[in-house]
Formats: sequence, structure tokens, C-alpha cells
Amino acid sequence: MIAMELEIDGLRRRYGTVTALDGLTFSVPAGQVFGFLGPNGAGKTTTMRAIFGVTALDAGEIRWRGKPVAEAARRTFGYMPEERGLYPTMALFDQVEYFARLHGMDGPSAAKAAWHWIDRLGLSGRGRTRIDALSHGNQQRAQLAVALVHDPDLLVLDEPFSGLDPGGIDDMSAILAERAAAGVTVLFSSHQLDLVEDICEAVAIIHRGRLVVSGLVADLRRGDHPRLAVRVTGDRTGGWSAGIGSAIGTVDSVRADGTAEISLTSTADSQTILDLARAAGPVEHFAFEDRSLSEVFRTATGASVGQAEAEHAAASRTTGVTTGAGL
Amino acid sequence: MSTGTLSTGPETSGRGGTAPPSRSLQATWLVARREIRLRARTRVFLTTTAVLLIAVALAVALPAILSSKNKPDRIGVVGDTSTISGIVTEAGRLSGGQAVAVPQPSLAAAEAALRSGDLSAVLVPNSEIIVKQVPLGGVTGSVATLAQLAGLSKLIQTVPGAASAVAHGVTLPVRGLEAPKTSLSSRLTGLFTIIIVWILISVYGSQIAMGIGEEKSSRVVEVLLSAVRPVQLLLGKVIGIGLLALAQAAGMLVVFIVAGFASGSSLVHGATLGVVIAGGVFIVLGYAFYCTAFAAAGSLVSRQSDVNSTILPVQLPLIITYALSYTVVYANSASTFYHVLGFLPPTAPIAMPVLYAAGDVPLWQVAVAAVLTAVGTVWMARIAVRIYANSILRTGPRISFRQAIRESRSALPPAMDADREHRRGRGFRRACRGSRPG
Repeated sequence: MIAMELEIDGLRRRYGTVTALDGLTFSVPAGQVFGFLGPNGAGKTTTMRAIFGVTALDAGEIRWRGKPVAEAARRTFGYMPEERGLYPTMALFDQVEYFARLHGMDGPSAAKAAWHWIDRLGLSGRGRTRIDALSHGNQQRAQLAVALVHDPDLLVLDEPFSGLDPGGIDDMSAILAERAAAGVTVLFSSHQLDLVEDICEAVAIIHRGRLVVSGLVADLRRGDHPRLAVRVTGDRTGGWSAGIGSAIGTVDSVRADGTAEISLTSTADSQTILDLARAAGPVEHFAFEDRSLSEVFRTATGASVGQAEAEHAAASRTTGVTTGAGL
Repeated sequence: MSTGTLSTGPETSGRGGTAPPSRSLQATWLVARREIRLRARTRVFLTTTAVLLIAVALAVALPAILSSKNKPDRIGVVGDTSTISGIVTEAGRLSGGQAVAVPQPSLAAAEAALRSGDLSAVLVPNSEIIVKQVPLGGVTGSVATLAQLAGLSKLIQTVPGAASAVAHGVTLPVRGLEAPKTSLSSRLTGLFTIIIVWILISVYGSQIAMGIGEEKSSRVVEVLLSAVRPVQLLLGKVIGIGLLALAQAAGMLVVFIVAGFASGSSLVHGATLGVVIAGGVFIVLGYAFYCTAFAAAGSLVSRQSDVNSTILPVQLPLIITYALSYTVVYANSASTFYHVLGFLPPTAPIAMPVLYAAGDVPLWQVAVAAVLTAVGTVWMARIAVRIYANSILRTGPRISFRQAIRESRSALPPAMDADREHRRGRGFRRACRGSRPG
């Protein structure tokens, strides 16, 4: 059993008529890259801000290693907010060193750590450059250096992958994996569920301020009922699959190319399905497949991520309330 | 276990507890140090410091140097000077300076000397006085007095028997019913002092507001507040910027004293020096009172460019008092209204040095005003910290002062929940005090 380092317990937060968090509960273990996923407006940023005490809660508690999070614990946390924030006119090294000191490091170790992370994140030679003179990608790295410089026990990153090119995404995920391997609890948020499903080991997916599902990515994608994808040559509508009895499995959908996606009641029934398919024609595709995380979301909430975000955007326009990172 | 050394390393124990006071002070000092390092290096700071110091040096030394020359007005006299030189000397004395009669061989020679600047005026006895150029407001000083005396002399010469009167002196003693309470130099020093108070408070106050606007609009405040409390961030900023302002004020005081003694100025003696010292005290108090208000104003904006409009209401009491001060400096007594301003914390930093310089209040009243301002500063800080903590993380349109004050009264600001936890550990009474309107 993995020990839960960070516990989010029953968080509630309303902004006027808008409910941002509605009893959100989940736990994050150490040593894993943990994805905190959900459509825009689900309450991710509000939760992360609450961890750092920069937003108040109406109810609920956040515990770190079994104790309610307080000031001293927060200084062992590293935070990279979605709306990146650095002093534009301050030199990179000064900035990183300043945040190291604010987190309680002494002068020499702060300077050493600042240079270490500047080099580690590929910013060598830029230490004396003002932040506003750095490229967008390098500002992003500078922000990460600020979050990492004091060697935090908990690393919280709000949408760290947004705006990154594929190379940047690889670098970022390598660093997160490295920190997690070093025993750090890593929590990052994303509204692009499918983009990050290969990056994190475990996730909590939320919607409307409530937990939808949480667990290991592999388990969630496999689901309770294994997914079988079967295509019969020449059958573009997957008509053959109508013959599958509900005792064996259910057809979730048929793709444009005629591939039927079938949730099996039991893995043992796969051969029954194969027989059915073969009876309809030559079988050109027959495989167990994982579901995408966005499908997991859709199955659990009845709405796609895109629909949920459109709904949130419309609600923000009517109420005029923007909660988390918002617009 | 050593207890004497201050631990500055990362905390590894006591997680979940509250920070020790040393740690809290250290965070405040780190914030202050950043402000000092960043600003003291800028060209703006170095230039304004140089300009202010030079201005003080000139203001003190120039009048002393100019008056120490004490050059007499040279009045050319065409013709016989024997009777008229006494009149010229008398005119100089009456006008508060010196004048000497310089005999001129001819009118043409006198006019040439006038054009070259060798003479201030030329007197043609019983006829006219010639100057190089009649000033727009008419002639003043020794020349004006001479015109009257010479005219009188002409009258005496045409009236028989009046010559003996001239010999005994024609001037009448001038007497005022009431002597001015303080010299003009003391009043002008008071005026100069409040100009410095006004400049320092508004310049550094705007820097506070701009700096906070920058932190809020760049969102760096979110990262900062994940490590330090709002009150530490605010105090660090105003202390850092305040120390810079104090350094400038102290520099100006030193220059005032050094330049004053070096030039032999009368300003560094007696009452005038007292005015400057009172000004110094009110610079510190005025900054302390206004710095947190400027910080609160800066926290209301979302864009840095909006800062100017939110700091205007903060500056208003200073602007009004400053404008009214001119009437006090040039009048013999201040209005009751202005006296009241001298005791109100927002206006005392400007009104009180002026009242003291004009001799309208005794020293103990200056002390009372200083204490009242100090008390007001504590109240201002409580309200301002609350507004700041409530507004600093709020984005969207600019927040009005009324809204910010109302909200800061109704609930403990969101960003203060770390403080709330802090207080909970310290007992109920303190928690109650913390949630009461500031």
C-alpha cells in the first residue's frame, strides 16, 4: 500500500453563485507523477491555490503527511501557477535565488541551487539576463526553476504542458518523472486528458468541482470491462455486432472505419465474439485496446470534455464570475 | 543544542506548525532587501538623489553667499555731491542695504557707467533719477527710497529755513505694532521642508503602488504568497522602499547642515534648524502613515497602468494641505482650519512643520501631533493590510476603495487564511481581534 502524502478532503468553495469546488476529495501518493485532470472550469486551479493558501475554502481540509497544511509545510512545496508570474525586470539568477531564500534556504545554498537549476533546465549563460529578455519557452523554464529550486517535497504545477512544443513536453515530463523517482510528490493539472495519459502513472479526474474517477492510468484505461475492437472486412457500419448478446458484452460505439468497440463482460467471452465476427466475414482487426482518458471522462459524466468546457464558458459569460485561472 | 545561532536553512522539522518570529522577520527582510537592491541601482534613484542633494545645498548656501557679498548700490551723482551723499547713504540704510554716492563728471559719463553696470542708478539732484531699465513693477529698494528722499530734499531746498531740518535727518522712524513671530527665513525653510516631505511621500508612495501593481499584474504575487504571508510581503516592500527614502532624507539633512555651516548661513542656527528637524520627524511619520495606503491602492488594480488613478485619492489630503500651506507661510497667522489639519494624521506631516515654522504652535503641540500621527499610522496599517490581502489575488476589473473596505470588513480575506491558522493557535481573543474591522 502506497502512503498518501497529500490528501484533499471534501473541499468546497463558492464564488457568488458559482460553485467551484463541491466536496472534492482525492489523495496523492509519493513517488508518482500524478495527473489532476478535468475540463477547464472543473476546479483544478482553485484546488491548487487552496493547497498554497492563496484562496480560502468554505469547507474541507488539505492534509500533508497526515497534518493540515500550514505555513511551514508550504515552504517545502514548490508551485508553478498557470498564469506564469515572475518579475519582468529582474535577472534570472537573482529571481531564482530570491525564491530559494523566501523558501528558507540560506544565502550560499540558495545561490548554489539557483545555478544548478538554471544549468539543469538548459538556461546556462542566461543567469544575468532579465526575465523579459528571455524567450517565451525560456521564461517557462525559469518559472519551473523557481518551483524546483528549494528542492520541494511536493511539486504542484498548474497546466505545465500548455503552450509547450513537443520537445518541451518531453523535457517537462522527463523532469517530472525524475523528481517523482527522487521521492517527490508530483501533482500537475491538465485539461488535455489524452495528451498527458502517457506522462502520468495515476490521475484524479474532476468535473464541476467533484471527483469523477481516480486511480492508476493503466487501470482506468482498461476499465472494469475489457475493451475489444473488432473490424470485419466490408462491414462499414459494424452491423454484425448487433448479434452480441448483453450477457457477453455491449457495443459502445462503431468507428467510422467500421470497427466496433465492445465492452466485454468477461475476458473469456472474447472467443465468442471472434466467432460471431468470423461468421459475418473476414476479420481484419481483433484486439484488446485501452480506452482514452477522455472516453473515461465521457463514460463517467455523460458529456465530452469539449462539451463540459463549452458549458463552463457559457456559464462564465452569464454570471461574469471567473474562478480559477479563468479567462 | 545551540540556541544562539539563527537557523536559516530549510526547515526540516515542525512541518504543519507555525513559523517562529525570526523566520517571519527574515522573510520580511528578504522582501525589503530585494526592493533596496533593485531600486538603489537604478539611474532614476541615483539621479533624483543627486538632484535633491544639490537642491538642498543650493537652497541653503546660495542666499548666504549672495548676501555675504553685501555689495553696496553705487549711485552716481552728477554735480555737487557734498549735500546729497548723506541722502544716498540714508536711502540705502532705509531700504535695508547699503548705497554709496559716486561723483560723476558729466551726465554723459554717468549714463555710460549706468549702461556698463558700474552704477545702479544716477541721481541728477533736483531733477531726476535714471536707472538702466525701469522694472515692470516700478523701482524698489534703495533707488525707490532715494527717489522719495531726493524729492523731499528738493522740496526742502525750495522752502526757506528747511535746510536745518535736513541736517537733523529727514527720516521718520518706522515702527510695527507687532513684530513677526518668526523670520521669513524660518518660514521659507518650513516651506522648503514640506516640499521635501511632499516629494518623498508621493515619489516613494507611487513606487510602492507601482511595485505592487507590477507584482499583481505579472501574477508573481501568487508564487510569492505561496511562500510568504501577505503582511510580510507588504511590510517588506514598504520597509525596503522606506529605507531608501530615509537614506535620501538623511542625506539631505546632512547636506543642509554641512552646506549651512560652510556657507555661514543663518539657517543652521536656532529656530530654523528646529524646523528642519521637525520636518525630518514628519517625513518619517508621513511615510509610515501613507506607505501602507499606497500599497493598498496598488493592490486594487489589475493593470499597472491603472495605478495612477487609484493613488490619487490617497494623495489628495497631501495635495490640499500643501496648497493651503502657502497662505500660512506668507500670512502672519494660520486659520483655525489649518490648525486642525496640523493634528489630523493624514495632513499633519505637511501642516505641522509649516505651523511650527510660522511660529503658530509651541513645540509640545508638535509632539502631540507626532503622537497622533503615529497612532493613526497603526490604524491605517491595519486597514491597508486588510484591503491589500483581500485584493492582491483578485483579478478582473479595478476594485473600488469602498468595495475593498466593505469586503475587508465583512470577512477575513482569502489570502489571510494562513494568518487565521496562525491566530487560532494563539487563542480566541486574538482571533476575535483579528477578524474585527481594522
